[in-house]
Amino acid sequence: MPTPHLLRRTAFALSLAVAGTPALAADTPRHGGSAVLAIDTTGMAMLNTDLTSFSPALFIADLWADGLMAKDAQGRRIPHLATSWNTSDDGKTYTFKLRQGVKWSDGQPFTAKDAAFTLTAFGKLNTYLSKLYPLITKVETPDDYTMVVTLSQPITAAMDLFDKENFPLMPEHVYAGTDIPTNPANRKPVGLGPYKLDNWEPGRSISFVRNPNYWDQPKPYLDSVVVAVIPSPQQQLNAVIQGEADWVQLDFSQIERAQEAAKNGKIKVVKIEMNAPERSSLDFNFRRAPLGDARVRQALFFATDRQRISNDAYRGLAFPAKSAIPVQFKDLYDPSVNYDTMYPYDPKKAGELLDQAGLPMKNGTRFSVELTYQALSPYDSVAKSIAAQWKEIGVDVRLTGLDAQIWVDKVYNRNDFDISLVSLTGRSDPTLGVDRSFVCNPAHVPYTNPSGYCNPELDKIAAAAAAAPQEQRRALYKQYEEIVARDLNEISLTNAPTYNAAATKFQGLDKLFDISFNEHPSWADTWLPAGSQ
Amino acid sequence: MARFVVLRLLQAIPMMVVVVLLVFTMLQLTPGDPVQAIVGQFPVPPDFRAAIEQHYHLNDPLWMRLMQYFLNLLHGDLGYSFQSQQPVIELILQRAPRTLLLAGAAFVIGVPIGIGIGLLCATTRNRHVDRFWTTTALVGYAVPGFWLGQLLVILFAMRLGWFPTQGMAPLISRAHGAGWLLERVRYLALPAITYAVYEATRVARLMRASVADTLGQGFIVTARAKGLSRAKIIRRHVLRNSSLPVVTVMGYAFGVAMGGAVLIETVFSWPGIGLLLIEAIRVRDNQTVVGVVLFISLAVILMNLLVDMLYGLLDPRIRAAR
Repeated sequence: MPTPHLLRRTAFALSLAVAGTPALAADTPRHGGSAVLAIDTTGMAMLNTDLTSFSPALFIADLWADGLMAKDAQGRRIPHLATSWNTSDDGKTYTFKLRQGVKWSDGQPFTAKDAAFTLTAFGKLNTYLSKLYPLITKVETPDDYTMVVTLSQPITAAMDLFDKENFPLMPEHVYAGTDIPTNPANRKPVGLGPYKLDNWEPGRSISFVRNPNYWDQPKPYLDSVVVAVIPSPQQQLNAVIQGEADWVQLDFSQIERAQEAAKNGKIKVVKIEMNAPERSSLDFNFRRAPLGDARVRQALFFATDRQRISNDAYRGLAFPAKSAIPVQFKDLYDPSVNYDTMYPYDPKKAGELLDQAGLPMKNGTRFSVELTYQALSPYDSVAKSIAAQWKEIGVDVRLTGLDAQIWVDKVYNRNDFDISLVSLTGRSDPTLGVDRSFVCNPAHVPYTNPSGYCNPELDKIAAAAAAAPQEQRRALYKQYEEIVARDLNEISLTNAPTYNAAATKFQGLDKLFDISFNEHPSWADTWLPAGSQ
Repeated sequence: MARFVVLRLLQAIPMMVVVVLLVFTMLQLTPGDPVQAIVGQFPVPPDFRAAIEQHYHLNDPLWMRLMQYFLNLLHGDLGYSFQSQQPVIELILQRAPRTLLLAGAAFVIGVPIGIGIGLLCATTRNRHVDRFWTTTALVGYAVPGFWLGQLLVILFAMRLGWFPTQGMAPLISRAHGAGWLLERVRYLALPAITYAVYEATRVARLMRASVADTLGQGFIVTARAKGLSRAKIIRRHVLRNSSLPVVTVMGYAFGVAMGGAVLIETVFSWPGIGLLLIEAIRVRDNQTVVGVVLFISLAVILMNLLVDMLYGLLDPRIRAAR
């Protein structure tokens, strides 16, 4: 017997069918039209994100590339080219069942051999897979639609590594037997995404057209998506406000302006709730006095008003970091470690610690340090805010804003710095984006702990947390957070969310932004009503 | 004349060699890692680094790369851009016409206006008209181009919506014929006007001084004594005799302009030579940097040569001396 709830739903459906036919037709996705994305692709040498982590390439990859799985706005894993997956009880074997009847954008069939090829051939070249690749002992394809990966030891973040953002699938028939890093397909890719490359005019635009072989038909709905190369964040937003472009990932300096412009209803500002946290941090050089003294690092933390940094540099839209593990990792962050209570803004306490460290105030100054950073927004504002705050406790800060390449050489290769300001993505798991700030780095690898701090105990805990079953990881990360909070080779200033602006003339924007962590809009579900095409 | 041109071109060769040597050495001394620039803000996997360095000879000694570069130059090869994965000459040929269009439009608008203002000021010296235009020209000359450009964008693109905010042409367009042309003119207008303001004010100041100097010459007194009208004196005697300094400066300026007005190209996202150079420097695409600098040097040398040839046409005394 039907329930009252079911009856109500049936009645509602019937009423729609009878009375609402025109409304349904207006809401039906239709093909046609284009979207223009405002992106600064300056310096982007290739599109293949198995080989580059360059942000513009990552934005664009969601158009042409696809992977085994993706994440929705709640961070839940959803199937893409893999229809199902499972992990063995010992956490070492991963089995993926793949979608059947799928073709690459060039019309060739997609099989498990392509997925296995991507893992084996690109694994050693893909920066994200650097932790996974050495652990792979076997990659098997028992049939055309099954891939089985066996590891020598479990790594809990492995499933995240198989997401489309970290592991975009590449065609074996294009890459096999070639020199992969220099294969022309890295700039003229063949992929599984909703669009395929049409034309790349360096410095001006990159055009994509609908991929007729896309696996999720009848998507995509748009005929084309064009990337407009616009170097300045201000000009990017200008173009979106004036309707010359339809989407931009907002720089923090532009968010207020975008929100103001959105009042006319033509654009919409979207906050990506579950984002890969941007961790703005200060790295101390342990090799340099007096920064090798823990009391000095603690004093500088007490002298840092992180809410003021958020206000000064992020228009109040970032929030003070709670610990080394960003709160966005809600299953892993342990709230018992909280910088707000451990290191509240307290210049008096900072002064006392510096006195204890033998750095008394003399003529208004205790000591002088250099703070170096990439001369870009928002680093320059963060650095100026810090310099002003530390001056209050007698620390004279010399600001050195540098070109990115010179800064990398100075900080990571030569370790010729006192304090370095950086903002790095935490990606979707601490193993992938956070560990690099704290684990030992004897080889001077760029964008990895430059401080000279090396604590085998912390490295051991990081390795254990990477491999432990999910339910046991929080306890390990608590120890991790405690060690970092005590040793402070790096102080985490703020965690910032991600903001996008998009034209409201498109339908399906909710679906467009049903993404999280490192994903970007793919424009597969979005469509334009007849009048807007 | 032909001998003069050939000699000047031959003199340019050692200059170009010096330019290449200087730029190569400076780039060698500048810290940077092109492979890291490709990978972004994550560590470079060693296998990837090895493959890229080997393919593009990034680790070859400086002398070897220099020698190879000069050998390639003999074949008209300016090198290969690893960032764009295409020959540098192709990149330059793609971008140079855009810069030429922008600079050309700016000079076509700016130079006649500058000459007019200069002439007006010099012939009305120390009167209100002169004071007004001299002050205006000084302000226009002093205003930074990138700031003026942003003001124009805010007013004419954002507020009034008359012009697009950036770019060289619409990325998606169905226009053709006159509509197509009008569309391009709308995109060109603001960057060209921004650029033209600087050139016009520069020319105006030069022209004012030059015309004032000419008006004091004996042959102008003679012309007046002969009863020639003021308009005739200016057209026949003053303009031609006052134009030499302007031609010199404008010729050089146009050569430099072929290197791209970097700030204006940035403000308006105009994909010319200037933006190409900035992109290449940012990712240490050294062959592109050297190629573009070489191109700019060649443009300056050729424009100076053209100016020297124009001197002869403008001033018979110089023609006779050759």
